[in-house]
Order: sequence, then structure tokens, then C-alpha cells
Amino acid sequence: MKYKDYYQALGVKPTATLDEIKKAYRKLAHQYHPDVSKDPKGEEKFKEVAEAYSTLKDPEKRAAYDELGHYPAGQEFRPPPNWGSQSAGQGFAGGNAQGFSFDDIDLSDLFASFSGDQQQAQRTATAGQDYELSTDISLEDAHAGSTVELNFTVQEQGQPGQGQVKRVPHTFKTRIPKGVTNGQKLLLRGKGGKGFNGGRDGNLYLTINFIPHRLFRVKDHDLLIDLPISPWEAALGATIKVPTLTGAVNLKIPASTSSGQKLRIAKRGLPKKNEEFGDLFAITQIVLPPKLSEQEQALLKQLSEISTFDPRPNFE
Amino acid sequence: MNTQRTDSMWLDEHHTISLDELIELSGLSIKDLQNLLESGVLIPNNRAEAIWHFNSHYLVSIRALSRLKQDFELEPNAFALTLVFLERIRSLEFELHTLAQLKH
Repeated sequence: MKYKDYYQALGVKPTATLDEIKKAYRKLAHQYHPDVSKDPKGEEKFKEVAEAYSTLKDPEKRAAYDELGHYPAGQEFRPPPNWGSQSAGQGFAGGNAQGFSFDDIDLSDLFASFSGDQQQAQRTATAGQDYELSTDISLEDAHAGSTVELNFTVQEQGQPGQGQVKRVPHTFKTRIPKGVTNGQKLLLRGKGGKGFNGGRDGNLYLTINFIPHRLFRVKDHDLLIDLPISPWEAALGATIKVPTLTGAVNLKIPASTSSGQKLRIAKRGLPKKNEEFGDLFAITQIVLPPKLSEQEQALLKQLSEISTFDPRPNFE
Repeated sequence: MNTQRTDSMWLDEHHTISLDELIELSGLSIKDLQNLLESGVLIPNNRAEAIWHFNSHYLVSIRALSRLKQDFELEPNAFALTLVFLERIRSLEFELHTLAQLKH
């Protein structure tokens, strides 16, 4: 088992009073709490801080922690024989630290199953832990509906009487229904951690994120695509093959089309929850060849000489 | 590995959740939820009916509120105000997310 320095995690001395520990916790919680902080490592840091606080704020747990001795953070160690028996009555949930393998145990699991908590937990129905995950899916999968495989680790209670909390891998597939939007949250009931003593299983909160598409942008259930067109297609009109998520369609570009016009292709967006579909909007962008040929230049010069069109009448 | 099919619940403005489900899933007590209802920051869709339903998106903010209450020991006065800000943040983040998708 690896040693964790809870005092160091909270930035306090081992002689700190409960009040000093609370103040240090609150300051760090404001800094790192995942619902408050934007620090990408905030959640991880807050877990360390919360784990340290949950042990040090409880006088019995703190005494048992101090009884472990002090080691450099991360160093492998074993609790002393009969550890916990002085500080917390029944102490360690196994009843006796001697002869028990601590190799695969996390220090937080040891305290989670400690002493009075454990005796209480053996009697009380406790709901399993909730988890939050996110998964990325393609627009094609959002359109057709898809199945994703979710892999994460859940906490489970060990055998009755041993009290150890184990971390076990949890893998299953779930259907992502048609109609999801980017950032959609789904609740999967009972797919979190196992409940204890008849308590309900925890839930899984899943956020669906769309992988950016090389052609389409998303606005709710509508899709947008930039549609490059040549100046002569814009001027004269044309029929252009436009890709959609379900195959290309022919789109008629009216004559005298300007840049930035939105042309609607009905029901070629993402499915909605009510069996309807969003639309696809093609946004025109007039583009020129990187280099005009001599003949093209001559024709355009001829056009400029005979045209009376003023694109900037509002500048006058 | 098992395969779960369609027992997911949508958490958004188009689906509803009952008060009992909100209590069960959020981790808040009836008293906490009454506080939010009395403050007018949690509003049922069908106030005139006997069994109230709420937009299921509330569950996202109320779970965050439950975590904040536990981790920061929020006072009752700060409690309802925190939900107002959480809902505002949720709405702004959704708009930012949509704008980011449109820009890429």
C-alpha cells in the first residue's frame, strides 16, 4: 500500500487544529472543486484534498492515520501490527491488521471501511456510487443511432465482514438513441456502482459529444455546410451535387446568388426525438481560381467594361 | 459484457422527471427541495396538478448543487441562489458549446 501524506495534501502541519484543517480544506475546495474550477486537473486535486479532509476532520480516523507513522508520499508501507486497535476500538474493518494483505489496497479504501463507519455500513442499505462519463460519437452515428462501449472502474464492497472496498472494471455497451444533440446528457439507471446491503445501484450520467466533422457543422438538429461556388455558377445559376449524411443530393443554385446565402435542403439534418429531421443549410461561398488564365482575365475585363452593377451602393 | 438497449433517460428541456425521482436521484432531501420550490428557483411544469413534474435538465444542476452543499457546507440562504447561478452557467455553457460547433 502506498502512503499518502494527508497533511501535505491540505498544506497544514501535523499539529494543525480542526479549525485550521477546515480552513485549509475550504480554501483548496474553492480552488479545485470540479463544479467550480476550470483547472483541467482540478477534479483529481480535489479528490486528494477531499480524501485527506474526510480522514483528518474525524478525530478517530485522524488518530488511526497518525498511528500509521509518517513516510514520504508514495512510499510502500504496511500498517503496524494491531494498527487501529488503540485509536478506534474495533479499528480496521478486518478486525486485525495482522496477516492481511495490503498490497492491492488504497489508503482511502482502508479508511472508507474503517471502524464505526464500517459497523454502521454493515447495517445500513447504501446506494451505489453515481458516475459521470462522456463519450464521443460521429455525426454519422448520431444520425443513424449507435452503440458505444463504456469502460470505467467502480467501487464495490468486498465480502461481508472484510469490509474492503475494491475497485473493479465495469464494461458494458449502451445504445445511443437517435435524436441526441451535441452535449446531450443521458441518465443510465443502475449502471453506476453496486449498492450495499440492499441499497439501489448507482447511476451513470453520460454526456454525448459530437466529433467535429470535416464538412458539417451542427446547430441543434440542423447541419450547416460551406458550399464553394465559382463566380459564373453564382451569376448564371447551376445544379451542384452537395454531400449529406445519407448521400449526395442535387441542389439548384439560383442565378445571381451572392456569398453567404443559405440554401435549405429539407430534412437532411439530424433526426429529432419525434421522428422528424432537422434541415441541412448550404452556405454559399464564391471562390476564384488561384490564378486566372489569360482568356479568363480578358472575359472578366470585358464584363467589367460593359456592366453597370454597383456592389456598394450603401457606401455613397 | 452485457448490452443495455433503451433504458436511458434524456436530461433536457423536452423530458420530465417527477419530484420523487428528483429526490431519489439528486441526493437532496425533501426539505432541501422544498426550500428550492419556496424560493421559486425550482419550478414544476404543472404547478396546478397534484403530482408535480419538472424538466429533466434540472437534475444536472441539482446534482451539482447537492455536491456543492456537501463539499462546502452551504447555508440555506446560499443554497437557492447557487441553483440560480448553476442554471445560468448551464445555459451559457450550452450556448458556447453551440457557437464553438458553428465556428470550427
